Amino acid sequence: MKETPLSNCERRFLLRAIEEKKRLDGRQTYDYRNIKISFGTDYGCCIVELGKTRVLGQVSCELVSPKLNRATEGILFFNLELSQMAAPAFEPGRQSDLLVKLNRLLERCLRNSKCIDTESLCVVAGEKVWQIRVDLHLLNHDGNIIDAASIAAIVALSHFRRPDVSVQGDEVTLYTPEERDPVPLSIHHMPICVSFAFFQQGTYLLVDPNEREERVMDGLLVIAMNKHREICTIQSSGGIMLLKDQVLRCSKIAGVKVAEITELIQKALENDQKVRKEGGKFGFAESIANQRITAFKMEKAPIDTSDVEEKAEEIIAEAEPPSEVVSKPVLWTTGTAQIGEGIENFWGDLEDSGKEDEDEGGSDEAIILDSIKMDTGVEVPNIGSQDAPIVLSDSEEEEMIILEPDKNPKKIRTQTISAKQEKAPSKKPVKKRKKKRAAN
Amino acid sequence: MAMEMRLPVARKPLSESLGRESKKHLVVPGDTITTDTGFMRGHGTYMGEEKLIASVAGSVERVNKLICVKALKTRYNGEVGDIVVGRITEVQQKRWKVETNSRLDSVLLLSSMNLPGGELRRRSAEDELAMRGFLQEGDLISAEVQAVFSDGAVSLHTRSLKYGKLGQGVLVQVSPSLVKRQKTHFHDLPCGASVILGNNGFIWIYPTPEHKEEDAGGFTANLEPVSLADREVISRLRNCIVSLVTQRMMLYDTSILYCYEASLPHQIKDILKPEIMEEIVMETRQRLLEQEG
Repeated sequence: MKETPLSNCERRFLLRAIEEKKRLDGRQTYDYRNIKISFGTDYGCCIVELGKTRVLGQVSCELVSPKLNRATEGILFFNLELSQMAAPAFEPGRQSDLLVKLNRLLERCLRNSKCIDTESLCVVAGEKVWQIRVDLHLLNHDGNIIDAASIAAIVALSHFRRPDVSVQGDEVTLYTPEERDPVPLSIHHMPICVSFAFFQQGTYLLVDPNEREERVMDGLLVIAMNKHREICTIQSSGGIMLLKDQVLRCSKIAGVKVAEITELIQKALENDQKVRKEGGKFGFAESIANQRITAFKMEKAPIDTSDVEEKAEEIIAEAEPPSEVVSKPVLWTTGTAQIGEGIENFWGDLEDSGKEDEDEGGSDEAIILDSIKMDTGVEVPNIGSQDAPIVLSDSEEEEMIILEPDKNPKKIRTQTISAKQEKAPSKKPVKKRKKKRAAN
Repeated sequence: MAMEMRLPVARKPLSESLGRESKKHLVVPGDTITTDTGFMRGHGTYMGEEKLIASVAGSVERVNKLICVKALKTRYNGEVGDIVVGRITEVQQKRWKVETNSRLDSVLLLSSMNLPGGELRRRSAEDELAMRGFLQEGDLISAEVQAVFSDGAVSLHTRSLKYGKLGQGVLVQVSPSLVKRQKTHFHDLPCGASVILGNNGFIWIYPTPEHKEEDAGGFTANLEPVSLADREVISRLRNCIVSLVTQRMMLYDTSILYCYEASLPHQIKDILKPEIMEEIVMETRQRLLEQEG
């Protein structure tokens, strides 16, 4: 399926927001999304989530004969696949360009940097070596595949354990995991890719672009670095012209980011190691929260509410005082009339006294304030226009008892004026009543 | 800043509120429609083991001896004479590729496009080079289906003054099965806006032009600022259409108009709340039933 094209409005909106240093998810220019690393029950299996982008990495090994010109080195094989569930645009035959580019970048990052010691993978020189195969599957595409894939690859490789082998003269013994504990691979350093997206011909840059930002970007710069600040690979695509100091600045930023990510990876690996040693439960099932509605948690989105208070005070200061309500005498029956409403009912006051102030704090007050603005608009003209016996009090629960000399006291239930009010929940009438009195 | 919070509530099934007498025969892919071999099979069905089996999820329609399944949610399948609203995705040598929510991109040939000024002449090489001046990637157009290729791709034309590039307005994307087939799809609603109901599910709402420009031929986009009153009407219409779609009602000028009138007592942003949506659509449905019966 072809992906739906981005509308012009959306494109312009994103570019304008980037010019004003705003990102759609509230991040800063140099912020990464949340990285979550979870391991499976087998050694060498992990899922890395960079925001919503998810990559599954799996490492496996096999004994094979080595390449002819590299008789004493093991073989590394990397494969990244864009699964069809990652995005509607990914089809079995379609995604060749992007796929080739990502695979090449991954290979350069991991193979050419010599992060894995291939000499240690040799069992019998010239005859048997270990072939380590890293399979990465993209499960969901929300931008910045290469970063997530490189993290997944290096985490899976660090997590992997290969079966132990011992060589005695001509005899080679391959131990099963039950006989001898499997042995980790020897990894020199952890190269991690950091992506920088450029907009407006290199004027603005963003770290870790998400899918929308990737669609409107002009060019991409990927720097693969390890925590010792050694650049393993650097690639610029998209045809933008970058200045020397821009590239230097990006490499400095990459250094900082890689240090953070490496720390996170180490912590995750240590945690998993600890859980396995203590015999606790590990695996993917443990890392997925219970699918109950009370357990579903959205990540906190940072919202800037610092100007809400000032705005609220402004609104309150500028709002005109409600117009004078001239109380017309209300004729209940012959001989009984009422002018005005009397003072406020303080009966229910003890629990709610703390919430009388009108400052905007919680959302409760906000809803009430909003509905007050609507209702005051309705009530005042209603009261002014009618001549027949009119209803002033608008609570459902108040009963007016009028004593007739001869007949039984009639209980008149007053009705609510609710032209605009929706079905107000019955829990709230107490508060609402008070607020309307205050506004009146 | 007024905030509103909602708790999750169980969704009410629509059939309760509908109370329709004749139940539609709904099928899913793989369901047997009938074992009677006397019927001819139409779209959405196939013959398997002497049974007629549905291949899409939808309702079964029968016309005499022809049985077909009309899918509920589908990509747009072009038919000659349909009006579509589409977005240009590519500019190629002598044609544009237009995205119309169908399986393949639709094609708009340079020779099927109106030249500015309405002149009729053979398209030259200069016209080909100036193609990008007429329509660029990302532009929205309204067009009519001229022909359907054998693989299902649709060929469009804008050979009338009412088709062409669309200017300022709001696009709503809905499922093509919800747009009712009518004689005309260009409506000037009395509430102050105009709407184009594309058969492919793209609905374009725009402010009614003051005077019909006869000579423009649909190229010059009107970029004057739209007044606030017009904008409010358009936003309200858009929200009404979204609420009709959520309640799975067919979209045509009368239903949109009734829904607009039913929504007037509410604020524009309140229309999107589930309770108000139900209320408005219920009223619309009643009015439509009254009008028919």
